[in-house]
Amino acid sequence: MSDTRTREPVLSVRSLTVGPTEPGSAAILSDLSFDLHSHEILGIFAETGGGKSVLSRALANWLPPTLEFRGGDIRFKGKSTLDGTGHSMLRPGREIAYIGSRPQSSLDPTIPVGPQLVEKLRAVRPEISAADARKKILKLLAEVRIPSPEERFNEYPTKYSGGMMQRAMIVDALSTDPAMIIADNVTQPLDVTIALQIVRLLQQLARQHGLSVLFLSSSLSTLNQLADRVVVLQNGRVAEIGETQALINAPATPYTRTIIDQIPRIWRSTAAPAVSTRSADQPIMSVRDVKRTYYVRRPGHLNSYNSVQAVRSVTFDVMPRDNIGIVGESGCGKSTLTRLLTALEKPEQGEILFNNRPFNQMPQKELTAARRGFQLLLQDPYNSLPPRMTVGRMIEEGMRIHGIGKGAGMRARVEQAMTDVGLPTSIYNHLPNSLSTGDRQRISVARALVLEPQLLILDETVSALDQSEQNKLLALFSRLQAEKNLTYIFISHDLAMVRRVCSRIAVMYLGELVEIADNRNLFYSARHP
Amino acid sequence: MFLVEYLLKRLAQGVVIVFLTSLIIFTLLRVVPGDPVRLIVGGMANDTVVKEVAEKMGLRDPIIVQYGRYIAGVVQGDFGQSYVRPRNGMVVAGGEYIDPTKSNMAPVIDLVVERLPLTLMLAGMSLVFALLVSVPLGIFGGLYPNRWPSSLALLVQSVFVSIPNFWLSIVLILFLSVKLGWMPALGYQGFAYVLLPAIVLAVEICPFLIRTLTVSLGEIMQAPFIDEARVRGLSRWRIVIGHALRNAAVPLVNLLGMQLSVLIGGVLVVEYIFDYPGLGHLTVLSVVARDFPLIQGIAILTSAVFVFINILVDLITYAIDPRVEL
Repeated sequence: MSDTRTREPVLSVRSLTVGPTEPGSAAILSDLSFDLHSHEILGIFAETGGGKSVLSRALANWLPPTLEFRGGDIRFKGKSTLDGTGHSMLRPGREIAYIGSRPQSSLDPTIPVGPQLVEKLRAVRPEISAADARKKILKLLAEVRIPSPEERFNEYPTKYSGGMMQRAMIVDALSTDPAMIIADNVTQPLDVTIALQIVRLLQQLARQHGLSVLFLSSSLSTLNQLADRVVVLQNGRVAEIGETQALINAPATPYTRTIIDQIPRIWRSTAAPAVSTRSADQPIMSVRDVKRTYYVRRPGHLNSYNSVQAVRSVTFDVMPRDNIGIVGESGCGKSTLTRLLTALEKPEQGEILFNNRPFNQMPQKELTAARRGFQLLLQDPYNSLPPRMTVGRMIEEGMRIHGIGKGAGMRARVEQAMTDVGLPTSIYNHLPNSLSTGDRQRISVARALVLEPQLLILDETVSALDQSEQNKLLALFSRLQAEKNLTYIFISHDLAMVRRVCSRIAVMYLGELVEIADNRNLFYSARHP
Repeated sequence: MFLVEYLLKRLAQGVVIVFLTSLIIFTLLRVVPGDPVRLIVGGMANDTVVKEVAEKMGLRDPIIVQYGRYIAGVVQGDFGQSYVRPRNGMVVAGGEYIDPTKSNMAPVIDLVVERLPLTLMLAGMSLVFALLVSVPLGIFGGLYPNRWPSSLALLVQSVFVSIPNFWLSIVLILFLSVKLGWMPALGYQGFAYVLLPAIVLAVEICPFLIRTLTVSLGEIMQAPFIDEARVRGLSRWRIVIGHALRNAAVPLVNLLGMQLSVLIGGVLVVEYIFDYPGLGHLTVLSVVARDFPLIQGIAILTSAVFVFINILVDLITYAIDPRVEL
């Protein structure tokens, strides 16, 4: 869209500097300058914690009270939005609309979605009558392809899925006819397929409504899908600005180059898919025709239930030293399968054998002992670690339960496990609250490792991390595998990641295992869409 | 339709609860020491008289038989007659031989119905006073954490929670009634008599209300959707009134339901101190006199009120936040 280049930019940021209100503290954004032209989609790339949210909040006049403008200017349609004292005069929500990364918690859970969108529209533009506002919201809901908008209008936010909620938030942003939209990491909480839908939708709406979009993301591949130009931020400064294609094909700075190299190239033949390391022994775990149905109480009725077949007739074997990936969209039954595999729940039908012993025939004591052999690693490293327990104590706990090791011996093993996963042993007595997401995940790994398991079940273990942390952890997993003869089950919605590390991949769709094949075969001749 | 079904279910549960309460009260009253017959006939009467009267009143039958007899009456709306209170209102003193089965004893239901409105008025007034003080304090405390409004809220609740109600009653009577003569202190001859005991009860429940409101509002104000409402363009006033308070009201309403038990407990002491002729006062007197039918009647009635208030609280909560499972 080079024809827009000649016009005056919609938004122009000049040497913007933002930092904490505390005097003497380091600035978060320094000397930032870029332009957003009309009808343009400008991508802004920064790693997690790289100042994306601060930038979008600064532009939307939504800085938290702990941050302040330190210098520079933000000009919107040629007029400065900052007054002399470093405060923005922009009326939030009117000309510059904001869409965030937390669609599920953006609206009041106690009020239906529609009325809240109407409330916002009328708060920003009081001249619109309630009836007109309702009509407009319904029209926009249809436009973002929310099915049966009339009914959805009166439903509560909890009834909306993540993708639908993000669509509703797009409606919320569009309703006031803004000139530009700030989309701050909008695809981050969604799984790949839904995220792609949202990206396409935004692109199309921007064209239809003549919007300029500032799209901030920590995924360069997402930006590649929609941005006309990309700004790369490094430590709160502009590292590089350029046309998207040019920038990705010929990055000018070493920083950009490293970022690009970290993107898993799923369709490029240069990156060889993982080779099978499995041996031809007996399966370590085999799943035979397993079924599990949930009964959900139907709202508004006392005695009727909807049954959901979360997992139906799933059968597969896991060989020692095999990396098996289980992929599927959100809600296809992955989590239920995880719960079955770890014997947290019992299947209704079929059985799961671990080292040739079926779970359902094990007495409670044997099951506890067997649990040593397989360990589960979860997605959310914040909620899966007890916040008031020291790191060392947390890792020890499994050993205490299984009654292995005592006193100094136990401590030595814990420290060994910490070294194995790359944690400094100096944090043995620390609480986890000051640790980064990656380090928290390392604690979970160490916690599993001290028990010397044969099988690790990784349920979206790395999806909460950003690209470079993901790479580090995946490298750690393959090193541990080589050292300790581990077997992994990766459960994920991220095909690219799974392809890189797994030798066999199983695809789940609506509770069924629709395909299971070796890595290469699956990707080159997929039978199920 | 769904709500009707729900209400029927809850009411059925409520009836079971009230029956269980009555059974427990009934049994405990007869197990604990203290013979009502001895109190009725007086300390000088000899044992044969006691035995005779007791048998005549059915008090020597097995407890379960007595209970069956009693509950059969209750179902028909007959809560029995007081052992010691005749219809004319005089309390019978010991030593005077009376026949409690005679019809000149006051029916329990009349005694209770006569007192109940007074206690309800007292409880209602104290709730009004408590809300008048704690709602503004709680809201500003929750909106401005770590600033003077929240310190004020903390100060008020700490002071109120450490004041014993009997002490406060005496001090208030001394200053407001005796010294200043603003309000009547004892008995009941009109609305003004409610004020002093209501203030004392209000002070007792205020700290809980302030605390709950401050904490829940403070938490809600941290919620992402409140933060995001600002960038969506809603005014602060609209965010606080329309969304934050709405969400913070849920724990408050639940607490109000539970504070009722504090009120009932408080009413016993406060009504007695102020000689306020309510249900609490009546309860104290009937316990002292081992007036079984009266104690049972009050207990059943109180538990019925509890059940009703709890259903009401759940309905209000559901109206505010439909995510709550009914």
